[in-house]
Amino acid sequence: MSFARRAWAVTWKDVLVERRSKETLNALVFFALLLLFAFQFALGPDRDRLAQAMPGLLWLGFILSGLLGLGRTFVTERENDCWEALLLTPGDKSAVYVGKLAGNLLLMFTVEALLIALFAVFFNVDLSAALPALTLVVALGTVGLAAVGTLFAAMTANIRARELLFPILLLPVQVPVLLGTVKATEAVLAGEPLAAVAQWLKLLVAADLIYVVSGLLTFDFILEG
Amino acid sequence: MATASRVLGWLAALGLAGGLAMGFGVAPRETTQGFVQRIMYLHVPTAWVAYLAFGVVFVASIVYLARRTDAADRVAHASAEVGVVFTGLTIAAGSIWGKPTWGTWWTWDARLTSVAVLFVMYLGYLLLRGMIEEPERGARYAAVLGIIAALDVPLVHFSVYWWRTLHQPPSVMKPGAPTMPPVILATLLVNVVAFTLLYLYFVTKRVELLRREQEARLA
Amino acid sequence: MMPDNWGYVAAAYALALVMFGGYWRRLRTRERQLRTPPSRRRGR
Repeated sequence: MSFARRAWAVTWKDVLVERRSKETLNALVFFALLLLFAFQFALGPDRDRLAQAMPGLLWLGFILSGLLGLGRTFVTERENDCWEALLLTPGDKSAVYVGKLAGNLLLMFTVEALLIALFAVFFNVDLSAALPALTLVVALGTVGLAAVGTLFAAMTANIRARELLFPILLLPVQVPVLLGTVKATEAVLAGEPLAAVAQWLKLLVAADLIYVVSGLLTFDFILEG
Repeated sequence: MATASRVLGWLAALGLAGGLAMGFGVAPRETTQGFVQRIMYLHVPTAWVAYLAFGVVFVASIVYLARRTDAADRVAHASAEVGVVFTGLTIAAGSIWGKPTWGTWWTWDARLTSVAVLFVMYLGYLLLRGMIEEPERGARYAAVLGIIAALDVPLVHFSVYWWRTLHQPPSVMKPGAPTMPPVILATLLVNVVAFTLLYLYFVTKRVELLRREQEARLA
Repeated sequence: MMPDNWGYVAAAYALALVMFGGYWRRLRTRERQLRTPPSRRRGR
């Protein structure tokens, strides 16, 4: 089987599992809604203040949902004793990484699209003008988040305190992505052109490349045993 | 190894004594900041050692994954632990320095912030090591994390720097401004060498301990 | 010209002493523990 076929097999398996159980997605959608409530209660009804804090809140929402969703990447394998099956995948394991990463991206994009829509409706912000640029920024940030998240999820899958350890490991590493995306989102929502944040976009692209490549190269060592 | 460690220990003690003597005896009172600037002879060398230590973790992690030698893993582990001690001290000393010069214990200054991010990153590294029971698996995972964290360091550095400086000019007094007098520079160099020796001493000692711990486990 | 702020300098160097000294002592204690054979360790 080719690399792409092997990766696709992993993604498709996860999509099928998710479509039948709807475990993660349902919970994440509900979680996103709750986050919105929490933000609203924390900042009060002042619309200007909410709009000002929106780039940060948006990314806080993405990161928190990411911590929950990405941390579960390998839970199906572990709970159903399929970890060994993953290890038996023919060829090098980076195909598994790509497959899992693709599945995670799908999940994250769905939740993010929903969160953005909810934000627009509940906080009454008009995002239509900024949407294309916002999509680009969100996509770049999400790739970085998911690339490291997938790798660390595999690393913490077999540790008892994984719910604790996963965010502790992931958050510090994601500082550049978080800073870059929040700054870029801020500018985009303020109506500035993408060229104004070219520096941050370059940083995000560099981060994505570094994370994905190092994930590809090191995943073999994690799935060894 | 034990002898080398002892020699390093004495050299470090000698260096630190020399560094202290230069910092408080030879180096003049700095004109703008006055006496408190002498914290620099502690803060800057420990910051340098922190970066050095995590660089060593990076290299040792790669060597471990390529060769699977326990020695490389022990060096990575020891260096991370000593590095966290130095990083913690860098932050604390920087904070103490910041109080009289900036007026607050903590500002989100670019350098201080990136060192703080490093601190939590490598604390996580040590936490991961402590949570995996099987030594071989722990070594492998830690090596992967050591590599990712080190690759992240330049990204953290640039992002934090831009974050702090893009929209406001740097208002802080920068240690290591280009107009540093030669005496201060020399004092700084002596201290950098001394603290590097101290780092090497701690690492060799910790490596030796890790080796013996492993032997005790196997026995 | 700033005041001398002796206290801050002293605090920084004292903290360094405590941290390095503490770490050094930890290493020493562990070393000694490993040197004593496990059978005799409990008595200590």
